[in-house]
Amino acid sequence: MAAQDTSKQVTRRRERLDRGIKVRSEDIYALNSWREALYLLAPRALPVVALVLLQLLAPEYWQRVLISTTVFALLAISWDLAASSGMVCLGQALFFGVGAYLAGIMNHYLGLPPGLTLPLATLGGGVICTVLLLPVLRLRGIYFAMFTLILPLMIERIIEATKVFGGTEGLSGLTPFSHPLWESFLTMTALWVALFGLRRIMASDYGLVLKGINDNDRAVMSAALNIYRYKAQALFLASATGAFAGAFMTHSYRFVGMPVFALDYSILPIASAAVGGLGTLAGPALGAFILVPLSEMLRGLGGLRIVIYAVLLVVFTVGLPEGVFHYLRRKYTQFERWTEVGK
Amino acid sequence: MLEVKGLMVFYENALAVNDLSLKVQAGQVVGVIGSNSAGKTTLMNTLSGLILDQRIKELRKGGERITIMGKVIHEGQDISDMPAYERVRLGIVLCRERHPVFPDSTVLENLAIAGHLRSKVEVAQTTELCFDLFPNLTRWRRRKAGFLSGGEQQMLAIGMALVVRPRLLLLDEPLLGLSPAMQEKVVEAIRSVREKTGVTIVIAEQFARPILPMLDFGYVIENGMLTLTGSGRDLMENPEVKSAYFGL
Repeated sequence: MAAQDTSKQVTRRRERLDRGIKVRSEDIYALNSWREALYLLAPRALPVVALVLLQLLAPEYWQRVLISTTVFALLAISWDLAASSGMVCLGQALFFGVGAYLAGIMNHYLGLPPGLTLPLATLGGGVICTVLLLPVLRLRGIYFAMFTLILPLMIERIIEATKVFGGTEGLSGLTPFSHPLWESFLTMTALWVALFGLRRIMASDYGLVLKGINDNDRAVMSAALNIYRYKAQALFLASATGAFAGAFMTHSYRFVGMPVFALDYSILPIASAAVGGLGTLAGPALGAFILVPLSEMLRGLGGLRIVIYAVLLVVFTVGLPEGVFHYLRRKYTQFERWTEVGK
Repeated sequence: MLEVKGLMVFYENALAVNDLSLKVQAGQVVGVIGSNSAGKTTLMNTLSGLILDQRIKELRKGGERITIMGKVIHEGQDISDMPAYERVRLGIVLCRERHPVFPDSTVLENLAIAGHLRSKVEVAQTTELCFDLFPNLTRWRRRKAGFLSGGEQQMLAIGMALVVRPRLLLLDEPLLGLSPAMQEKVVEAIRSVREKTGVTIVIAEQFARPILPMLDFGYVIENGMLTLTGSGRDLMENPEVKSAYFGL
């Protein structure tokens, strides 16, 4: 009755295996040797060291670009955190703008120094944005996204029409940071705290719930968890991160005005996430570090800059849809080889 | 009509189907019986060509690499690399597991979407045939498919496959999640489909008891490997099948 084809035939297939060092460096065993410990440490420490060195050694213009890149990386992390929790935002400019205006208002009208406006605007921005979006937390997908897209545009028009907070002129002459180096290292520290802190949260049981909401919110509800509470908390974390970026830029530019609600602050984080790789927080940050300097490098091309930028974006998303970060991580932890399959 | 030669499917390094060969003659009802993770769905996806699309998607997102070896031959033509939509044009139609319907469309709309390859007259005729085969669906013509019961959704899914007017109908676990009474109804409907349309049917199923009696030929697979073959009646009498699938 049994009818197996027994003819011997050998073909080859590509096999993907974890690197030995990856397996050896899992858990506490990583402490067995420097090599294993370095294997774990290198991908985390190298970007930190590289960024510090760049910030210290790069020409002044590129130092400014780095600061701006770091700010966009924060926005990209904020976008990815919300998206990983089932809230795809099209309006990162809302978080950025609210944080920026809060810092500007506190500095301009109350005379508070950046040391106070930054934390207050971060927390206040987080609370305001969360409260603004609370009524739409039940919406999913494109409906939630549309609302987040409209809100910053709406606030922009309100400021324009009512002429509050300087109206179209904005608030200028705000207190700058005391030292350029302090400015660079503050934004870098914020980036690492957000990146490593939020990654830690997403790797915990709490993060599992957030990812679960993204995957299948009804299944999470069935596990007796109030998904709207979790979504509100994730939204607070995401909006506080974005608000910090906005507040920082207010003091960096010594100005806050309607442009802080511009579409750039909403689109670039999404493009960064698409290029870097979704769902890892590090991927979108890496994407920002590719796209923002790239945009600056192409500045000399004038009008063609946008065309080339768009083409490169297409190349990245079509050629490497998993994202640069996922690709690099896979290559770092796994290797491939041909293997024979005998029949 | 259909022949599979030395099929091997790997999901990364896991072997889902191992050197599987089988034949399906025109007009037959052929069963592929196997427990969970035996490789039934992988086999059906390979026969329908959906696995090719799955392979590209996984490759593009850097997920599991799907490696397919061996040949799928349809009426003398090697269709191993033929995309799923072209296989449908040849008449190879898969009704996927877990009753895949369009939940926000009505029953009639679901049937119409499925039959877009056919003329309106043909779709209307087959739609009436579906309602004859599955009388339960008749009263829900304009109800959204997402609100139908699991059994009714399964009937609708089979109906959607029939609207394409298949020459080879692949049914992947049509009894999954159904009560014994509903299973009987679906089995009866499959039997009627065969009698009324004469279509060749391949059923992948783990519920052997209701399926085996109607099989012309059956293959039992475990861990991706072919373990037994024979007519439905032979397999029903086989002590290993009795022990593994009937609990006797």
